[in-house]
Amino acid sequence: MSVDLPIRKIIHVDMDAFYASVEQIDNPDLKGKPIAVGGGGKRGVISAASYEARKFGVKSAMSGNLAAKLCPELIFVKPHFERYTEISKKIRKIFYDYTDLVEPLSLDEAYLDVTENKKGNPSASLIAKEIRERIFNEVGLTASAGISINKFVAKIASDYNKPNGQKIVNPEEVISFLEDLDIRRFYGVGKVTAEKMYQQGIFTGKDLKTKSIEYLGAHFGKSGRYYYYVVRGIHRGEVKPNRIRKSLAAERTFSENLSSEVFMLEKLEHIAAEISRRLNKSKVAGKTVTLKIKYSDFTLQTRSKTLPYFLSDKSIILETAKDLLYQERLNNSVRLLGISISNLNTETKKKPEHKSVSVQLKFGF
Amino acid sequence: MKFIVSSTYLLKQLQVLGGVINSSNTLPILDNFLFELDHDKLTVSASDLETTMASSLDVDSESKGSVAIPARLLLDTLKTFPEQPLTFIVEENNIVEISSNHGKYALAYANGNEFPKAVALDNPSTTVIKGDVLATAISKTIFAAGNDDLRPVMSGVFFQFSTEGLTFVATDAHKLVKYTREDVKANQVAEFIMPKKPLNLLKGILASSDEDVTIEYNDSNAKFTFENSELICRLIDGKYPNYEAVIPKENPNKLFIDRTQFLNSVRRVSIFSNKTTHQIRLKIAGAELNISAEDIDYSNKAEERLTCDYQGDDMQIGFNSRFLTEMLNNLSADQVQLEMSMPNRAGILTPIDGLDEGEHITMLVMPVMLNS
Repeated sequence: MSVDLPIRKIIHVDMDAFYASVEQIDNPDLKGKPIAVGGGGKRGVISAASYEARKFGVKSAMSGNLAAKLCPELIFVKPHFERYTEISKKIRKIFYDYTDLVEPLSLDEAYLDVTENKKGNPSASLIAKEIRERIFNEVGLTASAGISINKFVAKIASDYNKPNGQKIVNPEEVISFLEDLDIRRFYGVGKVTAEKMYQQGIFTGKDLKTKSIEYLGAHFGKSGRYYYYVVRGIHRGEVKPNRIRKSLAAERTFSENLSSEVFMLEKLEHIAAEISRRLNKSKVAGKTVTLKIKYSDFTLQTRSKTLPYFLSDKSIILETAKDLLYQERLNNSVRLLGISISNLNTETKKKPEHKSVSVQLKFGF
Repeated sequence: MKFIVSSTYLLKQLQVLGGVINSSNTLPILDNFLFELDHDKLTVSASDLETTMASSLDVDSESKGSVAIPARLLLDTLKTFPEQPLTFIVEENNIVEISSNHGKYALAYANGNEFPKAVALDNPSTTVIKGDVLATAISKTIFAAGNDDLRPVMSGVFFQFSTEGLTFVATDAHKLVKYTREDVKANQVAEFIMPKKPLNLLKGILASSDEDVTIEYNDSNAKFTFENSELICRLIDGKYPNYEAVIPKENPNKLFIDRTQFLNSVRRVSIFSNKTTHQIRLKIAGAELNISAEDIDYSNKAEERLTCDYQGDDMQIGFNSRFLTEMLNNLSADQVQLEMSMPNRAGILTPIDGLDEGEHITMLVMPVMLNS
């Protein structure tokens, strides 16, 4: 089947081991050594690992303990988020020299739509090369890029020649590229989905293609139908500049499991302060407060409450989180607490005709 | 039945009583004043069934009787007379004839028996309070009472009497006033909710009155007796909300400020506020109070800065400026204190000076949440 889609030129730029590389340029002693950002302390989780550390099997989201076992020489470095943000901004500036259609996914990743670009350069591949060179020259970091006709393929492609490489999947190659692709590399397919797909005899894009949309819908729901289209090179996701933030969250894993609520309150206070600071910094406020509780047996619980007004104030966040904490007895000792704020006023801010809402509060009787 | 009375003396009493009469009555007899004559004592009553008020006047008479005379007509006539004696003669043909220096006026009357009788209070408890103290208690609280038909209890003022003192509370769920007199005590604990209408009447009559007012009350009615008058009213039935529970206990942020200065700023700035929310923002940092308002729809904006005495963390809180103005206006202190805990918790306004010994006023106002 063929669907007429405008052919776009999308670049997915992904920084190589971003946090770790920033630490290495800031502290030359760390150059060439296996380092892990975060993961210090008893139960920290690694945010990023340098390529030297990755050779030992150290990965992000791995516990510090396990990483240290895999790589005894591993150096743990405290994260410096302000620094990452600063560098990320510099990199974004480079992107904007080429196009305004930049969709940052995180500090170290972004989609660029260069179909029409400021340089008038028809070759997305050359633009990607130039961008990577400029990033290296201006901030001293390497980046990888994937270039293709849609975000889905570009993102997969950026992983192909990592680190410090790029991969182009030309329009005529897209179909065969996807057919040959291991199902696990499809964006959105994790361990569980992959397992399920294997059981249905789906190992590659080609296998996926043999299945009907009804079949995929029945087995994998909404995402099944999504796979049906993407494997045919159809992905309509546009590059959306300025992603609208949907929520803001912070959490803490404790060095010891907590069972006393008094200690938890103290932790909640820190988390609430951080969230409030970040909300105020990005000038947003939200109505829904969600408390995330991970118990010592790793079971996860979330409790949330929606208020009739937007909040960003630390004291109100803390109070609402407290209410949620006391709402029900805790099942077990707690290893992690987190607060997230959603239902943000970013949606309404976009529409100027939307009147500002202010709410007269009442006494609770 | 015949009596002679001073025109201005009668008018003065009837004007007060006229406040009881509703402008439109389903029961036509309630459009009348009840005149009950017992020799030289004339008792005039007015009622709306909920509230009945009676005053006794000294007249010149030797007869007895009871008639109901149209209130509007009588008041309109009396208003026009300069001071002079008037003679009322009740004729058998259902006509009252009034003779003045100028001429004669005839009004149709109804039989006094048709007028509803005021309820008699069974086993009342009694508390005595000075007229002006009661008037002050009413005027300090009544503005905060609500108008919500769905919550009738909040449309009145809560009287809470105890051996420790008397407390009067009014709230509309957005603002709340608690007025306490520790210098006046009841001999037993009692609680009842007074409707606004009789309180407004009492407030008018008793302001600057040095006389004692005797308050008798039971579960369903209250009776106020003073000078030559008595007012009996039905109480609002229901349970008053637990207002103590909503008074924040810990208020680490305290603002001390000149009341007039604060009030004037709030008034000015509020002109620029949104016309539906009347929202103003208070931003307090260090010794500076920043009051601002904005009406985005019309691009109106105002901001003022005041020096204040502030203890606590920097904070930002929004209020409905009308509530704040009403409250500040109702106080007479030079200095006031505004205590706050959080932007979503009630602010507590209290006067610093100008109170009598044993007199306490606590005003609460719920904030308007800021949207950014």
